[in-house]
Amino acid sequence: MKINNTQPLEYSTEQNQLNILGFWVFLGAEIMLFATLFTSYFVYENRVGNGPSGAEIFELTPVLIETILLLTSSFTIGLAINAMRLNRKKAMLTFLAVTLVLGLAFLGVEIYEFTHYYHVGATLQTSAFTGMLLTTLGTHGAHVTFGLVWGLFIFIQIKKNGLTPATTNKSFIFSLYWHFLDVVWIFIFSFIYLKGMM
Amino acid sequence: MKELFPIKQVNGFIFSMLLTVVALSVYFLDMSFELGMTILLITAFVQAAVQLVIFMHAGESEDKKAIYTTTIYGLIIALVTVFGSLLAMVWGYM
Repeated sequence: MKINNTQPLEYSTEQNQLNILGFWVFLGAEIMLFATLFTSYFVYENRVGNGPSGAEIFELTPVLIETILLLTSSFTIGLAINAMRLNRKKAMLTFLAVTLVLGLAFLGVEIYEFTHYYHVGATLQTSAFTGMLLTTLGTHGAHVTFGLVWGLFIFIQIKKNGLTPATTNKSFIFSLYWHFLDVVWIFIFSFIYLKGMM
Repeated sequence: MKELFPIKQVNGFIFSMLLTVVALSVYFLDMSFELGMTILLITAFVQAAVQLVIFMHAGESEDKKAIYTTTIYGLIIALVTVFGSLLAMVWGYM
């Protein structure tokens, strides 16, 4: 394995560089996936049938809490990568743990939100609007859930194996994924919630 | 301790919080739909760019060109899908 010491550890082998580039290509495809969900949502936004409209069921407080949690977790995973590059294993693991706890809290609030929608009669079958709303939010939530499991395994691997070209590469790719989820959330926050409550 | 909180990322975080507050103004202030949407479009895309450049280090490696190409390609397809569909299925019938 050829190791290039002029680059951060996560870029140090050719395979590592290709992994990172490959993940960016995947994120490009993820942008398009969420674009199709947003498209369907915008097209069906006003097709509420006999069900409630967005303005009637959206609550600002939980949405704002979710936004702050996810924005902060995106910041802490950035700090984790920074600590990783300084070869500070303990600090890196702390920031990663904080990120995962914030992600878990986000998921908790989102689950509360979904039960709220269920109780006010906005289910997947109620109308085109609620169906697409829950599909879009649910796809993002499923991504966060997957990210939490992924992040947990990376945490264990770094704890066991330390900061190696392999584990740093995985961590960096995970950080890209996590930041991407934050970007998607910003669009959900702006164009689903705030637009709906305006 | 200080090296664990690089100024660039701290500023990026504060800036993204500020953008969130600006976006919230569409909820708390009384404004027209057009003005509100303009504010939201600007704050959302600026915020996405902050994440991409500061936190995701999009421009730091030698694959910079390929990374920006694949992101912008995804973005163009996304915008064409969203606005093309709105044009064909919603705006034309208002």
